[in-house]
Amino acid sequence: MKFFTPFRKKSPWVLHYNAGSCNGCDIEILAALSPKYDLERFGVINTGNPKQSDIFLVTGPVTYRSRERLVELYSQIPEPKVVVAVGSCTTTGGVFRGMYNVEDGIDRYIPVDVYVPGCASSPQLIIDALVKAGDILESKSKEIEKPFKLFGTLETIGNKLSRFNMAQKVKHD
Amino acid sequence: MIWLWIALAPVLGGFVYGGERVMRARMQRRQGPPFLQPFYDMFKLLDKRTLIVHSPHALLAVAHFAVLWFSIGAIFLGWNLLYIIFLHLFAQMLLILAGYSVRSVYSHVGANRELLMLVAYEPVLILVAVGLYLVSGSFEISEIMQQSGYLPKLLPLFAALAMIVPIKVKKSPFDIGEAHQEIVGGVEIEYSGVFYEFLYMSRFLEYIFIYSFVFIFGGASLWLGGILVAGMFLLVNLVDNATARVRSVHMVKIIYWVAITLAVINIVGVLL
Repeated sequence: MKFFTPFRKKSPWVLHYNAGSCNGCDIEILAALSPKYDLERFGVINTGNPKQSDIFLVTGPVTYRSRERLVELYSQIPEPKVVVAVGSCTTTGGVFRGMYNVEDGIDRYIPVDVYVPGCASSPQLIIDALVKAGDILESKSKEIEKPFKLFGTLETIGNKLSRFNMAQKVKHD
Repeated sequence: MIWLWIALAPVLGGFVYGGERVMRARMQRRQGPPFLQPFYDMFKLLDKRTLIVHSPHALLAVAHFAVLWFSIGAIFLGWNLLYIIFLHLFAQMLLILAGYSVRSVYSHVGANRELLMLVAYEPVLILVAVGLYLVSGSFEISEIMQQSGYLPKLLPLFAALAMIVPIKVKKSPFDIGEAHQEIVGGVEIEYSGVFYEFLYMSRFLEYIFIYSFVFIFGGASLWLGGILVAGMFLLVNLVDNATARVRSVHMVKIIYWVAITLAVINIVGVLL
């Protein structure tokens, strides 16, 4: 519906996921949400529930342990959704690039819309990124977005489950 | 005219919720969201793709909202107080059933907590109705509202009601039902899109429901009722900003030991 589209930007709800971060970026995200920087003035709520959120805020180079959860959380967010990669590790792998136990950034697994640099990225940058993500959210359609890669049982049975069959069955507007 | 108010009850509750978010932001010395933020959220949720676990689960949310709205309508029309309390209980039971109907662990925890909250505040609500009956001689809200002078006689009962308001509007120290990120929203967890919106709007209706109980204590003078509601609103938000969450067991204990004792003492006093 055309009428409701402008309101996406006014209430972007955030899901914050730590994919093996050192907590530096997490602390900055929490600082941005706290009274001093006050992200709530843009209508942002940290929901913690993928089914009700619009923006996926990921920190950390993707460790082998966290990548299944990353992909699963991403596929649980209903469209329209936007992924924001916060920090150098999440965008490129940062200081962990090329190490044996990490993937270099989340864009091997899920499509990223906004990259935020910095180690750790500052609250101002995160606020900018979320405002930008709101704009992208407004321009997106409700078409189903899939992760690039799936894992294990999820991969084998995932194609037969409703979420992935839905992509073929459901008509979009 | 009264039908218009009933029809606009969710919108009214939305204004209350929006105003509360702005006020809480001001209490924390920050700017806070726009006043109309709840409506922006609602419009956005209408535009999201909806994921449904199974259809009875989705239907129970709609039924919860509808029954709650009906009980609000009953309050505005001045029906029987006990009838309204049990209608509200029915609405809560629908929500709890919805929580148990999915396999999510968090949903089950949330439903358990909703039950605990029900166990805690329901006796107090009924005792409030009994107290109002003893003073006014009727359970009908329309007749209760024609008399006045409830507050001096029912002051401990009003304090008991003040203790259960945070449970109903899910504020600290008794916000165990949603518990922010601890149980990820409790029974709300598996809802998304349009069906989450029904739960979001039923939260607005909960505000109207519990604050109208506060309003009844004003009796015939609407000014006193308005002042009571405004004072309670401020108090609940101040306490919310100043306290941490208590454990669910402790909540039930606190309510049973303090609130019910206060209410029973008051009712015994009125009877004697």
